[in-house]
Amino acid sequence: MPTISAPVPTVLHADVQTPRRRTPSRHRLRQVRRYILVILLALIFLFPLLTMVSTAFKLPSDVFHAPPSLWPKEWTLANFAEAFDQIPVWQYLANTLFISGMSVLGTVLACPLVAYALAKVRWRGAKPLLIVVLATMMLPPQVTMIPIFLIWNGLGAVGTYLPLIIPAFLGTPFFIFLIRQFLLGVPDELIEAARIDGASEFRTYATIVLPIARPAIITAAIFQFMWAWTDFLNPLIYLNDASTYTLSIGLYSFFGQNTVAWGPLMAACVLFTLPALLLFLLGQRFFIGGISTGALK
Amino acid sequence: MSLRRPASAQTILSSARKPGGRSSRRALWLGLAFASPFIIGFLFLFAYPIAASAFYSFTDFNLFQTPRWVGLDNYSQMFGNPTFWQSLGNTLYLTVIGVPLAIIISLAGAHLLNFPVKGQPLYRALVYLPSIVPIVVGGYLWRWLLNTQYGFLNYFLGLFGIDGPAWLQEPDWTKPAILLMTFWTVGGTTIIYLAALKDVPQELYEAAEIDGAGAWRRFLNVTWPMISPVTLFQVIVTLIAFLQIFTQPFILAQERLNTPSAGPGGSMLTFAMSLYQNAFAFLKMGYASGMAWVLFVLTLVITLIVLATSKKWVHSANN
Amino acid sequence: MVIAPLAACSTGDGGDGSQGPTTITFSYLWSGPEAESLEKIIADYNASQSEVKVIGVSSPDFQKQLTSMSSSNGSFDISDNFGDVVGSWASKGILAPLDDYNIDMSGFVPSSLTQMKYEGKTYSLPIAIHSQLLMYNKKMFADAGVKVPTTMDELADAALALTKTDADGNIIQLGLGEAAPGATQRMIAAAFGGSWWDKDGQPTPLNDGNIQAMTWYQDLVNQIGPDKIAKFVAGYGQYQSDQDPFFSGKLAMRIDGEWNGVGIPKVAPDLEWGVITIPGASSQFKDTTEVTASTLFIPANSKHKEAAAKFLAYMVSPDAMKAFTVALGNMPALTSLLDSSADYSAIENFSVFAEALKSPNAYAPSSAVSAGEYMTDLNKAFDSIASGNETPKKALEQVESRVSSYSK
Repeated sequence: MPTISAPVPTVLHADVQTPRRRTPSRHRLRQVRRYILVILLALIFLFPLLTMVSTAFKLPSDVFHAPPSLWPKEWTLANFAEAFDQIPVWQYLANTLFISGMSVLGTVLACPLVAYALAKVRWRGAKPLLIVVLATMMLPPQVTMIPIFLIWNGLGAVGTYLPLIIPAFLGTPFFIFLIRQFLLGVPDELIEAARIDGASEFRTYATIVLPIARPAIITAAIFQFMWAWTDFLNPLIYLNDASTYTLSIGLYSFFGQNTVAWGPLMAACVLFTLPALLLFLLGQRFFIGGISTGALK
Repeated sequence: MSLRRPASAQTILSSARKPGGRSSRRALWLGLAFASPFIIGFLFLFAYPIAASAFYSFTDFNLFQTPRWVGLDNYSQMFGNPTFWQSLGNTLYLTVIGVPLAIIISLAGAHLLNFPVKGQPLYRALVYLPSIVPIVVGGYLWRWLLNTQYGFLNYFLGLFGIDGPAWLQEPDWTKPAILLMTFWTVGGTTIIYLAALKDVPQELYEAAEIDGAGAWRRFLNVTWPMISPVTLFQVIVTLIAFLQIFTQPFILAQERLNTPSAGPGGSMLTFAMSLYQNAFAFLKMGYASGMAWVLFVLTLVITLIVLATSKKWVHSANN
Repeated sequence: MVIAPLAACSTGDGGDGSQGPTTITFSYLWSGPEAESLEKIIADYNASQSEVKVIGVSSPDFQKQLTSMSSSNGSFDISDNFGDVVGSWASKGILAPLDDYNIDMSGFVPSSLTQMKYEGKTYSLPIAIHSQLLMYNKKMFADAGVKVPTTMDELADAALALTKTDADGNIIQLGLGEAAPGATQRMIAAAFGGSWWDKDGQPTPLNDGNIQAMTWYQDLVNQIGPDKIAKFVAGYGQYQSDQDPFFSGKLAMRIDGEWNGVGIPKVAPDLEWGVITIPGASSQFKDTTEVTASTLFIPANSKHKEAAAKFLAYMVSPDAMKAFTVALGNMPALTSLLDSSADYSAIENFSVFAEALKSPNAYAPSSAVSAGEYMTDLNKAFDSIASGNETPKKALEQVESRVSSYSK
């Protein structure tokens, strides 16, 4: 059972009954009903993934069998072998890893800088900049998609990884905002103390603020990795050479030629999902904490 | 993470900083320096492109030759084009049905996850799990689930005596199929609601109980108003996501050889898909830019309407 | 496994000639076994001379091909497509004209060259041509006692007679199926004297023959049930594999091309199939067939056009073309090769497909600039007609209303 170490307040729920109206058996009945409902909910969400995994291990005769069954009649690795045969999995994996890694690097370098400007530097532009950052989150990407493509095209960068990586080094509004909110909670005294000691603003930033902001930065890094890992539209537009494809485009291309190769397709899907799953299991509290805070503020 | 602590009080030193003079100019430079990555990015990836796309929308531009000014031609073509209206209709259908249902499902799910049962973290993780699955994977997975002969969805429907439709082949059922897929990934919203539910002060529920309110009344009078700011935020975020929806219908509609397709009878053609096709398949970049602006204005108008009506149903912090 | 981190261009080094071979990239839409055959031919070419080294890349995505040609950094020097994109692409200036490269163009089948020209210049050359005829499953016809159709009425009757359903009303065998969505509808228009383009290649959706053909089709589909057909089609196996619906006995008839003559012996050798010309609604419309060409072209943004042209010349020379078309089961675009059908004897029913090219009712789809957009709208109309949602006239009127907005 995965553990989540985020502080979870003791459960306070809305239907506490006062003792004199409750009998032990009715309470037990209600508890049973609750367990059933929650477990059902979790199973509904989990079920499609189970299907994916089970199909990946089934023989073709089992895959193309109606009615479908969850448990493979016979487990086989043939689909994975076929997937590796038809799709250059390792290459795409490496490509996707590279792009995601570089995006994370860019985010981790740029977003805290801007967040610091918004949270801790007292300057006239802080408020207007905040409004601009928030406003850019509302813009549909389709509006800027074509001119940005043309810019990259003019620079000769279409077909390279540059359009997919460089934007991360320029900051992402959502992460900037997330880190900014976190920094607001950092006591000013720490920063003031460093300033008084004569440290330059940048040294203060690097040695005092960054370490404190680590949880927020890690959250941003994890989310950025996931976004880059699963991105579809940008690789679709910018990557032309099959050897540069990411996993999402690799899957898309594979399906375009083999619309009914469900076994290998599901196997490839499993391979594509595993790293994301791993990251999720390792960093659950950052996920859950990050989105809760991002939304509640 | 203790992100909910309010900003600490200003230190005496900083509040004593005078507004004008050397230190504030220095602060300006500092601010600009730290914010420089974003400022550069804003100029190149937002300001210029926004202006450029507005310009392109008045031109006929096929990417290989210089743009040719055509005035309002693209827009008049757009409004006379049945495909445009179909893509708009499809998108609005998905939005109008999808947003409320997504909110309801998330809220209901959050309530379930809030039950005092053992294993909460596990259930929470499982509900959130589909959100981290790559969308492309989710798309192909759902294509498989929706398969009329070998997929599980029609199999389960059959157990209840329902003859499931050919989800991706019948024009009437393709959009519900898309909706099903999006509902599978409401984990994020559910988690957010869960956190919001836990934030509702217990005293309010107790007071309501004393007044004799049952479970539903308690939800209506306590829970709903208290979480309404979160609801507002989620409504807007979900609204924007549905208006721009691209990858799910794109993958569900994909046909052999990657030819641009939009489902039977064009029933899965969303606005963003049509935009993409016009831009990158037909190379009508000017026309597509015009479509992008229509989307922008539409999003803005709908968001403003939601914000304007929010005063009526969003409960502010001052009770 | 090498990752080229930031610059993913793959064209190679060097200028033309003096210091070793010029490397060019040949990006092709073929994949699978066809790609393997192609790679052998490329290897032979590389071994036979030392001026040009060709690297082959299988890239089946049409859209990627287009966006690659639009960037200043192209990713290939020579590629393939069908002839119908020539007008659209040449008008945008993304194809390099081929007239100045001294390639002998006299031996091509005349009807295959018409699509290749735009404003007097040749922008691509055919390496293979295709015709489409009515394929039928001999055993199914014999078992049902149905005669091979010679008129469109007989075709409809045969299609109905050979459609079988099970106890629940689900189709288990379909009389007339499709190779690709919209293909059948597009091709039967000519059997009624219709045409989707005029002689200048401009769209004519509301041609009388077109409407008659679509009415014929809709009537047929309505008698079987569009929903049932959709459900049946959803369960098709992979095209040209042993699960192909025609190969595996799910379809009695299909209008499709000569490459089946290679696919069937390979994966379904026990299938007894025949090929006849598409019947006509009246005798003046018989023997229609859609002639298309697989073509090679050089993008305007290639940095090695000379070298690419040398390779192109090789590919359309008799020996290379023969090797290529025999392997893929396509028909050669050189008249000399077409007449030597002995070389193609391994391809079942080849001679019937080849004969069809000579019919006076053979036609090539338009390669006008508007072709792409028009096809998309037509396919949408076909879909609407096939599902019984709209009458043919209404659906095609909608397409007609779009014609004025197409790029010229």
